[in-house]
Amino acid sequence: MKIRTWAYFHGQAFASMRRNSWMTIASIGTVAVTMVVFGAFLLLANNITHMAGNIESKVEISVYLQDEITSEEIDRLAQEFTSLEQIALVKYVSKEEALLRMRDWFGESSDFLAGLEMDNPLRNGFDLRTHRPEQVLEVVPILQTFDGVADVQYGQGIVEQLFAVTGMLRVIALGLMLGLAAAATFIIANTIRITVFARRREISIMKYVGATDWFIRWPFIIEGMTLGLIGSLVASGLVIWFYQAAVRSLAVSLPVLPLVKPWPFLLGVTGWLVLLGTAIGVVGSTISLRRFLRV
Amino acid sequence: MLELYAITKIYGNGVVALRDVNLKVDKGEFVFIVGPSGAGKTTVTRLILAEEKPTKGQIIVNNKVVNNLKPREIPFLRRQIGTVFQDFRLMPNWTVEENVSFAMKVVEAPTRAIRRRVPEVLALVGLSSKAKHLPHQLSGGEQQRVALARAIVNQPYILLADEPTGNLDPDTAWGIMDILQDINAQGTTVLMVTHAKNIVDAMRKRVVALEAGRIVRDEYRGSYGDEN
Repeated sequence: MKIRTWAYFHGQAFASMRRNSWMTIASIGTVAVTMVVFGAFLLLANNITHMAGNIESKVEISVYLQDEITSEEIDRLAQEFTSLEQIALVKYVSKEEALLRMRDWFGESSDFLAGLEMDNPLRNGFDLRTHRPEQVLEVVPILQTFDGVADVQYGQGIVEQLFAVTGMLRVIALGLMLGLAAAATFIIANTIRITVFARRREISIMKYVGATDWFIRWPFIIEGMTLGLIGSLVASGLVIWFYQAAVRSLAVSLPVLPLVKPWPFLLGVTGWLVLLGTAIGVVGSTISLRRFLRV
Repeated sequence: MLELYAITKIYGNGVVALRDVNLKVDKGEFVFIVGPSGAGKTTVTRLILAEEKPTKGQIIVNNKVVNNLKPREIPFLRRQIGTVFQDFRLMPNWTVEENVSFAMKVVEAPTRAIRRRVPEVLALVGLSSKAKHLPHQLSGGEQQRVALARAIVNQPYILLADEPTGNLDPDTAWGIMDILQDINAQGTTVLMVTHAKNIVDAMRKRVVALEAGRIVRDEYRGSYGDEN
């Protein structure tokens, strides 16, 4: 198709939207609402993943050593732990350091720890970190076999539950999103079907004059695409506004909740909204045209 | 130019619309197709425009077999055939000018060619002063002239007119016939399906008469028929 033909298609598409202004507004509104809900799911899903990742990265293995262990044995263990392929980080924590740490945790109310320096009940140990959180489970049994190791502790049970919950949430969110996208496509298809139905006589006239199916189709596709694009841009604006407001207010009231930083995160989310909204518009108009082109 | 060989058309419901029809129309001819309702006249036009496929036989338009065109080839056949119908078939929301220029936009003619050609054709059909009017602001005869202008704007080989005067009073009808004759005089083959006995009798052109799906008469300088 030539450039002037494309210009003509756009002219036709916009003329049609002006003529059916109420239908146009209704379609844009439908896409916008759908995309806002979709956007909310994207925000939620991403933040859940983010939080899960946050907690996952904090999973550490604590190895406690037997009291009678010598410093040579400690050095040897440190070397052996480092040589394990799953282990990313080995940090020795003496019982004195452990006590200091405990003081830090308890802060002002740490008075009850006074005097423990003389007879420290804590044990020397190592803090280990694996490359990936799921490696914790495979490395723990190995650690337990080393001589001089008294105990191995890790937060695995909690992480497994967390994984299960986030996985389920993702499936539910995906299902809802698919449903919403289908509903929006259906509504746009119907909107365009009404315009197409009103113009089926015009379409048959076009075919008598020798217009190809694509010549007839393009203005409708551009119309659907524009409806989808405007609707999803409106939705993107709302999503950006909402998320920034949410981040601002949560930073004050719930500072421990680690929300994903708005930028460039929102760029990705709204990018998906615009892409999907536009695609819905195109698919909707293509579906509704198919029947009327057989003349 | 236009050839129908042993065409038989049986519709899905078993109605036999045409039986073994043979017709050859040369370039520049003016042919009337006459006959009572249900004789198969409309089926002939539908077959030529590839709206229907013949059950048997072969149709050749401008040296190309068209009875088994793929759907995407049909538009290119229709661009070689200008069509005019009893009910005008104009775009109601478009001006006279837009209706005519649409046919050129479909073939992606250059804008400059459209600007030159459309006024030319509107002058030919006598509607230069009404280029900006909408169809509903025009009389029936004027609307049919718009349809004629649209049909010939791309200079088709064949002009197919299906009862072009059917909705018009006698004086207006003659105005349309004058234009058809002009178009024919410029070399376009004209095929006109009609019931208008007075027109056929007065014009003394080739007349092909259909009855019950068969060609019963094919005369040069013919008349509508004896029974009337």
